[in-house]
Amino acid sequence: MFSYNLKYELKLLWRSRWIQLLGVLLLVLIGFAVYNGQVKTDQWENSIQTAQQTLKASDAAMVKVLDSVEQGLEVSLAPWLVPTSPMAVGNVHPRVVAKDAQPLSYIATGQSDLFTPYVSPKATGDDFAIEFTEMTSPVQLLFGNFDLAFVIIYLLPLLIIAFSYHVLSAEKERGSLRILMAQPISIRQWVFQKLTLRFLVLSVLVIVAFVAVALGFGLDVWANAPSFFILIALVLTYMLFWFALVFLVNLWVGQSARNAISLLGLWIFFVLLVPSILNQIGSVLYPMPSRTQMIGQMRSLKAEATEKQDEILDNFLRDHPEYAVNDSTQKRNFYHRYVASQQLIRSELEPVVNRYTEQLQKQQDLLGNFKWLSPAIVVQQALNRLAGNSTADFLNYKFQVMGFSETWRNHLMPLLYNNQDFSQEDVPKLPVFQYQPLSSSATSALLVLLGLVVLLFGLGFGFTKRIWAS
Amino acid sequence: MIITDNLTKKYGGHLALDRLNLQVKEGEIYCLLGANGAGKTTTINLLLGFLEPSSGSAFINQVNVKENAQATKKFLAYIPENLMLYPSLTALENLDYFSGIAGKKLGQDELRNYLSEAGLQEEAFGRRISTYSKGMRQKVGIAIALAKHAKVLLLDEPTSGLDPQASHEFGRLLRQLSNLGVATLMATHDLFRAKEVATKIGIMKNGQLKREFYANEISLAELEETYLGLMQPKAAAL
Repeated sequence: MFSYNLKYELKLLWRSRWIQLLGVLLLVLIGFAVYNGQVKTDQWENSIQTAQQTLKASDAAMVKVLDSVEQGLEVSLAPWLVPTSPMAVGNVHPRVVAKDAQPLSYIATGQSDLFTPYVSPKATGDDFAIEFTEMTSPVQLLFGNFDLAFVIIYLLPLLIIAFSYHVLSAEKERGSLRILMAQPISIRQWVFQKLTLRFLVLSVLVIVAFVAVALGFGLDVWANAPSFFILIALVLTYMLFWFALVFLVNLWVGQSARNAISLLGLWIFFVLLVPSILNQIGSVLYPMPSRTQMIGQMRSLKAEATEKQDEILDNFLRDHPEYAVNDSTQKRNFYHRYVASQQLIRSELEPVVNRYTEQLQKQQDLLGNFKWLSPAIVVQQALNRLAGNSTADFLNYKFQVMGFSETWRNHLMPLLYNNQDFSQEDVPKLPVFQYQPLSSSATSALLVLLGLVVLLFGLGFGFTKRIWAS
Repeated sequence: MIITDNLTKKYGGHLALDRLNLQVKEGEIYCLLGANGAGKTTTINLLLGFLEPSSGSAFINQVNVKENAQATKKFLAYIPENLMLYPSLTALENLDYFSGIAGKKLGQDELRNYLSEAGLQEEAFGRRISTYSKGMRQKVGIAIALAKHAKVLLLDEPTSGLDPQASHEFGRLLRQLSNLGVATLMATHDLFRAKEVATKIGIMKNGQLKREFYANEISLAELEETYLGLMQPKAAAL
């Protein structure tokens, strides 16, 4: 039966122009989404590149000034900007701490539209309270990003529904079902085979569209073949989930109009409702602490610290004698006191700041525990991870930023507290940030999706009992 | 061979078929007459396994339909009142598809032969079914039955809506199949065609088989008189 179904299903789809229509539609949708993703990734990379070039120019200028100072020439700069001061280097010439775009960044915007591509933490900055947020267009918030993840998660199921919602009911409504049922075949098997063939047709079209678009935009598919295969595997498994739902609805519901409405209802449930409800539950159970409260707390701590600067500095140097081991001058200025106060404020605010990460982690854990309720969440998370734009990726980046800020400060603090000048020789020794991406894996996502697929097909084969022609 | 043994079907409180006993032997054409709602289509649906009987049994080639509906379908072919095939496929493709899924792999020559045997003009073989008249579609149905080597043919009002010539042609094809040993059960309103093609005729009313006789034992006029007499409502008791 399968070979005959295959042969004639392909003929019927070709003659009804479904294959041609789907092919063009997928090419346009995937093409537009990849183009959008690529534009965003290019902007991201250009932004980092520009910052790196600016830093390079600023370093060259710094070296020039240092050279002039070291030759005993006068420089026309305000004293706090002269790079012989370690804090001038730390604040005026901060390093670029960039989150490099990953090879498949273009597939999912994820958290990248909420964060900046790089930050430049200063030696005296409040990097411990770093949030990375920037304003987002309200229109974009309303509609979301038209990226590949949007096409896969939102639009592809709608195409599957339009393509297959009436596989069985159309036979009934046309009148050919009674002839089919008079053949020695299982109608359930027949529907399963028809949907399997449609799944194969759509899979081929999706893969061809992906490859065509990737080649069209000059993306190096082979260099990132493993990630690309994971992407394809995720998409096909997600499609399989929707075909399994279509299979159940075709067997259980019966009329084309009802099938379509039921499937659209399921689409709303799985793609819109469940993610939104889980998100709301996460926000209610694990609310993020008030940022205004934290800023207020930080200001009062700063004010308190300003009043007791000398005492704080004394305590700080008692705790960290290593910073001033070579200091014979015992000269103390604004920066000595300020940096010591910052250290105190940082340690006092640490529990408040950590609470953000903890609450965010709890929200993520909740989503992780219940993600199987919606394959849309599973695929969105997996695609974000594959693109390197997931919450985990940005948390990883945030920790790396905080780590580098510490390194940057610690590199300059001995010079500051030993009252030593920063010289040309110190320039090549300045720390350089190198982003370390997380390794991505889609195994758990694939397993969850496959589990749901098996469950749905099991329900279709095991529990439906209905005589369709009656 | 078709046998029903006290075959009964109830829909809630409504008795659609009441203890039907009939037998159609190899090579026989049995015509079931009756008004709408008499139970003709219910009988065919029960024989096809589309419905489960409330009680009693139906057998196709000695196989119990309720117990093994799929096995009985290897032996039977079915042509409904309006045979709907795949409109965007040609007659050859439709025949190839339905024979194929029934497990008969046929070559192009065999497919053409069956369509010719069913009385279809050669020029129509490659045309899409959407361009066919009802009579031509019924012939493709016969070709499907021929290709399947069906032992049993179930027909539900197959000649309704056919012009006299097409109807006559259809009757000729049925006799041809009967000569091959096919047991045919045909539900129809057409007394003339029933008299013309049937071996046996049964008249149903309110789910019961009221009369049964051999077609050669009764004239068309007698058949009509008997039928109309049975269909008249009983005089209400005063």
